[in-house]
Amino acid sequence: MQFTDWIADARNIVFLVIALAMVGAAVMVVTSRNVIHAALMLVVALAGSAALFLMLGAEFVAWTMVLVYIGAVVVLFLFGIMITRAPTKADPVRLDHKHRWPALLVALGTFAAMATVTTLAFEDAALPDGVARAGDIGDVLFDRFVIPFEVVSFVLLAALIGGIVLARKDPE
Amino acid sequence: MFDYHALAPELILGVTLLAVLAVDLVLPDRLKYLAGVTALVGMVAAVFPLLTMAFCDSIAGCVDGGTRSMFGGSYVVDDFALVLKALFLVSGVVSLLLSVGYLESDDYYQGEFYFLILASVTGAVVMASARDLITIFIGLELVSAPAFLLAGWRKGDLRGNEASLKFFLTGVLATAVMLFGMSLVYGLTGEITFAGIASQSAALDLGPEPAFVMGVVFVLIGFAFKVSAVPFHFWAPDTYQGAPIPVAAYLSVGSKAAGFVGLLVICYQAFAAVPEVWGPILWILAAASMTVGNLGALKQTNIVRLLGYSSIAHGGFILVPFAMAASYDSVGLSDAFFGSITYLLIYAFMNLGAFAVVIVGAAKAKSGEIADWAGMARYAPATAGLLAMFFFALAGIPPLAGWFAKFVMFRSVIGVFESGWAIAIAVIAAVNAVIALYYYARIVKSVYMDDVPIAVPQAEAAAIRTAPSLVLAIAITAAVVVVVGFFPQVLAFFGEAARGF
Repeated sequence: MQFTDWIADARNIVFLVIALAMVGAAVMVVTSRNVIHAALMLVVALAGSAALFLMLGAEFVAWTMVLVYIGAVVVLFLFGIMITRAPTKADPVRLDHKHRWPALLVALGTFAAMATVTTLAFEDAALPDGVARAGDIGDVLFDRFVIPFEVVSFVLLAALIGGIVLARKDPE
Repeated sequence: MFDYHALAPELILGVTLLAVLAVDLVLPDRLKYLAGVTALVGMVAAVFPLLTMAFCDSIAGCVDGGTRSMFGGSYVVDDFALVLKALFLVSGVVSLLLSVGYLESDDYYQGEFYFLILASVTGAVVMASARDLITIFIGLELVSAPAFLLAGWRKGDLRGNEASLKFFLTGVLATAVMLFGMSLVYGLTGEITFAGIASQSAALDLGPEPAFVMGVVFVLIGFAFKVSAVPFHFWAPDTYQGAPIPVAAYLSVGSKAAGFVGLLVICYQAFAAVPEVWGPILWILAAASMTVGNLGALKQTNIVRLLGYSSIAHGGFILVPFAMAASYDSVGLSDAFFGSITYLLIYAFMNLGAFAVVIVGAAKAKSGEIADWAGMARYAPATAGLLAMFFFALAGIPPLAGWFAKFVMFRSVIGVFESGWAIAIAVIAAVNAVIALYYYARIVKSVYMDDVPIAVPQAEAAAIRTAPSLVLAIAITAAVVVVVGFFPQVLAFFGEAARGF
């Protein structure tokens, strides 16, 4: 497909804008010296992925991204930073590592391999009719996938209790 | 309508989990061990439905469901699942017995500890039945999440923190890689159950499809981390050394066995159509794990670290029967499955026993350094004798159980001896068995023949009493190791039951 044809579709322009914003935000997450800014950039990146899910017609996943990742996880980060009184100003030392060049090589190699392989496999595959409505997901969750659903609650309970034990200050 | 008989073990474990929390809440500090007893009772109770299902024919009024397949094939309770659920529950019981005395002796958080062990065992029990990507993934998470936390249970200890953090970070990375692989597999086949993936990948001829190969490889990498197969083993020795010893025992048996079960079931069922993709990978993992694990163990001075490396090596041995899977027919594959599962069953008891004796020995010598254990036979003859027994069992010396594990492993490779690769892996395994014997025997020699270091107060050490729960754990594992060594058909019977799947 020619680029001019591709760009003529309005949906592709929306995709391009969202994708570029996500990439920019993701880069900022790692390069920002201020941990609060990094967390806020993470919000932008996650919101972008929610928007991509919306474009694919997966509303439930999109709103889960917003509710769980942006609403809960990132807000917890910010609370955590606030409560532990970590420095909220710019970090004086850059996050760096002596193996940065090999790491970059591995990262680029992995990206290239994954991008090529997934593009080749799914390039013009049509979206199948799957479970999309929140109601359908609820039905499947409490019928077919009731065991993993219940097991997840134990995972969370275990993580919660173990987390409290490890984080708690011991009375001496 | 659910098959409540088939789900009974999981339901009992779930109720017990909540009961442990409730009991822990009302107990005063000196009675905290009762929370552990509650967990123990729950695990033993969960074994009963397994027995009634296994011997359903001979029980009046029992409806034999055959292979009880539920939720559209996502959750299956067949003979294989029953055997492995029993293994996980027994190794959970033994790990709890190891912990009770150990935790009493120090100010650990007890009730939460028992809760987390029980939660992890529950995850393993779910995994044994899981036959779709979602269930097996979430089961694996329930196995690992408590394990991450338990590894760091010695909060004040720097090694403990390192153990937990290293385990957590590598574990999470592995999980992410595995999940991405699963998403590729699902995306290409459009199926979530193992049977569906197998039939779709055969129908669509996905073997040469790069994305499918990548998905399979990523899933294997994720499981390889969980079973600490080389080259994904870096966390294991550090984590074992930093974690409390009972946790190390559980990690090297319970959670490792769960990882193996996931790996083998997924290869055997979901990726059955493409053995040429995962067969060579398992060959490399098996050869590398045996060699690197054993060579690493040679130069260890800490006994828990040594067991960490030796468990990596045993992981390699467990994978050997599957290494030649690409050239097997269906009979050969089921032989390979039999070999791996039998090895896993025997290894679980040998290793738990070895860890139990190490707990006793470390309490007596007040150290985990091998040099400090010299001459232990003088002041603790029983401990030294049991140590020698379990170490020789791990080395594979008849008549202890280890020889049979090694025997079935070699037998399943010999079936395809015309291939050069099969000969190569058999030779690598044989050389490694010899290396392993050297480092196990070195410790036994030191315990029996070397002089006691001056720093060890012998009279005091001889007077240290071993907790009754620990004695019970050693008795169970020692009995299994001896009985199976003389009558291997006992465990082979279980392995055979698992083969039918």
